[in-house]
Order: sequence, then C-alpha cells, then structure tokens
Amino acid sequence: MLIREDILTSKERVLALLTGKPLDRIICMPIVTTNTAHLIGKTVKEFQLDGKVMAEAHIAAFKKYNYDLIYLFTNCSYVAEAMGAELDYSEDEPANCEVPIINSREDLSKLKVAEKNDGQFPVFYEALEILNKEVGDDVFISVCFSGPVSTAATLRGVEAFARDTYTDQELCHTLLRMATDSCKNLIREIASYGAMPIILEPIASGSLFSPKMFDKIAFPYIKELVDLAHELQALIPLHICGKTHKIVDKMTDTGADVISLDKCDLALAREKVAGRALILGNIDPANELLFGPVEEIHKVCIEAIDTMQGYTPAFILSTGCETANKVPFEHIQAMLDVARSHGLYEYKVD
Amino acid sequence: MDKETLFQEISHALVEFEVEKVAELAEDALKLNIPAFETITGGLIPGMNEVSRLFEEEEYFLPEVLMCSDAFNAGLDVVNPYLDKSSLEKPIKMVIGVVEGDTHDIGKNLVRILSGASGFEVYDLGRDVPLDQFIQKAEELECDMICMSTLMTTTMDGMKTVIDRLKERNIRDKYKVLIGGGPISQTFCDKIGADLYANDASSAVRQAKDLMGRA
Repeated sequence: MLIREDILTSKERVLALLTGKPLDRIICMPIVTTNTAHLIGKTVKEFQLDGKVMAEAHIAAFKKYNYDLIYLFTNCSYVAEAMGAELDYSEDEPANCEVPIINSREDLSKLKVAEKNDGQFPVFYEALEILNKEVGDDVFISVCFSGPVSTAATLRGVEAFARDTYTDQELCHTLLRMATDSCKNLIREIASYGAMPIILEPIASGSLFSPKMFDKIAFPYIKELVDLAHELQALIPLHICGKTHKIVDKMTDTGADVISLDKCDLALAREKVAGRALILGNIDPANELLFGPVEEIHKVCIEAIDTMQGYTPAFILSTGCETANKVPFEHIQAMLDVARSHGLYEYKVD
Repeated sequence: MDKETLFQEISHALVEFEVEKVAELAEDALKLNIPAFETITGGLIPGMNEVSRLFEEEEYFLPEVLMCSDAFNAGLDVVNPYLDKSSLEKPIKMVIGVVEGDTHDIGKNLVRILSGASGFEVYDLGRDVPLDQFIQKAEELECDMICMSTLMTTTMDGMKTVIDRLKERNIRDKYKVLIGGGPISQTFCDKIGADLYANDASSAVRQAKDLMGRA
C-alpha cells in the first residue's frame, strides 16, 4: 500500500472541503477520545477531571496520527452531572451515572439547568484553551456532549424514561426541556472557543426508540440545538450510535451539518442524506478495529470509501462510535493509512 | 365469551399494552373456571410472542416492550396464585447478567423480560456481575444456560474468562452459553467458543429455545 504524505494540514484540508477547494486526501476523523490518555501514561479518570491532561493527551494523539478532527469527550453523563446527577468515577473507565436522580416528580427540585461553569464543564474549557494555543492552527477541535434524550434518560434511568414516553409524557418533556437548555448553554461556550459542538444521542438510537417516538422526543429538541449552533455560525454534527437506518432521514431533517453514523448501511444513508449533509462513519470500532488484523481494517475502510465514492457534499472516513481503550493504537493508524493511500482518484492534488 | 375469544382478547390487549384490561380479562378467565395454566399459555404467552415478533420486525421498541411486559405481568399476577405448578413443562433455567465492569443493562433486561414471558425461569444477577458469580449461581440453581451481555469493549473479555473457567472445572458442556450486547459479534462468539450470539433480545430468546430443543 502506497501511503502518501499529507500535503495540507488537517485544518487546511477541512477548510478546503468547506470552500470547495481541492483536497490532498480523503478527510479522516476516527473518533478518538478518552483512550488518548493512555498515550501519555494517564488514566481515564485523570483525563476526565483535569483539562491539562485532556489537552496533553489529545496533542499526543494528534501528533501521532494527524487525523482531521480532535474530539474532546469524557463520558455520556457529564451534562446530566452538571444538572445535578452524581457520577461514579472509576480509575480507567468513563464515568457513568449508577443511580438516577429523578425517581419521581418531586425529585425535579434536585435538578437545575446547567450553566456554563457547572459540573466538569470547565475541564473542557481549560483543555480548549491549551489546544487552541498548541495545535489550533493545524486542526479543528470539537466537543462532544450527550444531547437532550440521552441526558434526560440518564437523569431518569433509561427504562423509566422509556415508560414515561407513554405513561408520563409531561415529566418526559420537562426533563427534555431542561436538558436542552443545559446543552444550549454548553454549546454557547464551546462555540466561543471556536470549537465545534457535536451532539451525541446514544439513547435516541433506532435500537431503542421507534421513528415515531424519535419525532416526539428527539427531533424538536435536537433541531433547537442545531438552530442555535447555526445562529452562532458553528457547524454541528449529529452522532447517533446503534441502528439508524430508519431515522437517518430524520437526523438529516434536523439540519445537522454532518450525519455521523454507526450501524447503518452506507449505501442507504447515501440515498437519504445526499446533497443535504456530510456523512461520517462508520467503521465498527468493536469489530475489525478492535480485533484486526490490519489487512481486514484496510479492507473495510476501502469498502466504505468505495461505497461513498462521488458522494456530495462529502464522505468522511471515521469510526461508527468512539474507539474504546482496547482498540490497539496501530489499528487506528491503519485507518489513516487507508485515507493516505486509497481513494486519491477523486481527491485531486494540485 | 368462549375461551378462544377470551384468549385472543387477552393477547390483543397485551399487545396494545392495556395493562388494566389484561388484568380484568384474566379475572374473567378465573370466573369462567379456566385453569390458570391455560390462560398463561393460551392468552398471555401468545401475546408476548407477538410482542417479540413486533420487536424483531422493528415495529416495537424498548418503550413498547416495557409497556407490554407490564401488561403481561398484570395478567400473570392475577392468575399466578391459582397456578397448578405440576401442569407446567420443566422450564429452561438460566442465569443472566451484565459482566463485571459494565452497568449498561437495557439489552439484558429486554432478554430477561422476553425470556421470562416465554416461560423460561430466569435468575437475574443484575449488572456489573463478578465473573465467578455466573458459574456459582448456575451450578447452585442447576441452570441450563448462562447468558451474559455487555455494551463495552473493555469488559467483553470477561465472557471468555467465564467460558475458560467452565472448561477448567470440566463443566463446560453442562451449560449453553449465550452472549450479546453492543460490541458483541458472531466473530467474537466463535472466537471465545460461546454457544450462541444474538443481536437482539427477541432473536436471543427464539434461538435459545431452538438450542434447547424447544420449538
């Protein structure tokens, strides 16, 4: 495999894409997050609680791979945490919320709409400041956060929340409202650092909720976040893990600029999203990327690129979800190697 | 109302998750002196089978299955005290849990709900279950199956550990080992030597029955 050297910096490459200029290779943004901590000998816990560690870890990973986006992310519950939920931080795993804070309507008084400095939000600001200074000229930086549905479900417990969608819709929407407002406050901060907010909605997945329910509990709230980001002149991707084949058109209807897919046939996504948003995805991080061998990773990446050849506005080679701690670093490298060798026929080099 | 019509109404109300109506209809069945066993096998279980089918076909999702299982349980609560246990076929027994290190349990709970509703005897070990507990409980309760799930790649190795420990103790063949969860695949199942991988709760239960020779 002929691996060509990059000509553009990551930032130049993405800017070229956005302004319709020629690219030197396909854009490649594997979702590399907390596992970067291991590159500098730190734990995931340290990464989650210390903006300096978060920044240093990402700088190390960016220098190693030169991929096209830095994804700041800690865990799926940090917006819920900023609203009042308590998280369990184990040494080397993303923190999570073991006990839901909302067990009845009375518990609503324990919650607040998260303001900019609540919970661990400031960890991200500290990291953003350092990253902007150190690598901000070379690469775009994003912050991923759980959207309204995932945050509300964390506050309430997923099963209770799922029942509420039928039995107590008022509670459901009260939580969604507060979660949405919390996300909006965070988006304003993220945008003020020039970073890109990315909505993650693992719980709004088509593996858990019907498309009809997506319309009721996810769509209007996500759209509100997208609209806010656009008011702030920020691009905003929407990432939903799990199955999305039945909601990929609805995801696109939110106006999100990038549709980030996990378990969804790319050919089908291509048909539904064409002309409306970039598609990012969807190499399975728990299959080939976890087990290898490298040749197999090359193969699935090439297949994805070929399936999406000629797609407009553009296809971004990425993982379907975050790359877990156990994904070997050389497997992430294998994805980048494909980006630097395959598919150049459609990426003209000046 | 004749028995068949009543059973159909029970199934229908269950699928439409009309919790109170299912309970009322189960009361009606008792009043008509229909054996509890028949109400379960003729009305409630067929209703849940339909729910499983709808789930597998992606007509029903998590909320709908939870609502239907509430209706199933409401019916079961009414007739259970009158159940003649000797009338039941020996149920498939299984332990189920989310492996150590992981607290995501939605998928596991769906399997528990659907397998319980299919007549399995299910012992739920909960989430973040120490690996030895799967074996210990299965041995203690003389189970047929060990069912493990995880949503995290960091914990999936635990499933292999459980299988290895079964082998070490020379009891691997006593159990069918069923695995599932977000990052689990058929490749992984083959690699660690589990008996069955299922990618959703409904097919897990269907295939588990097949594996045990119960249609």
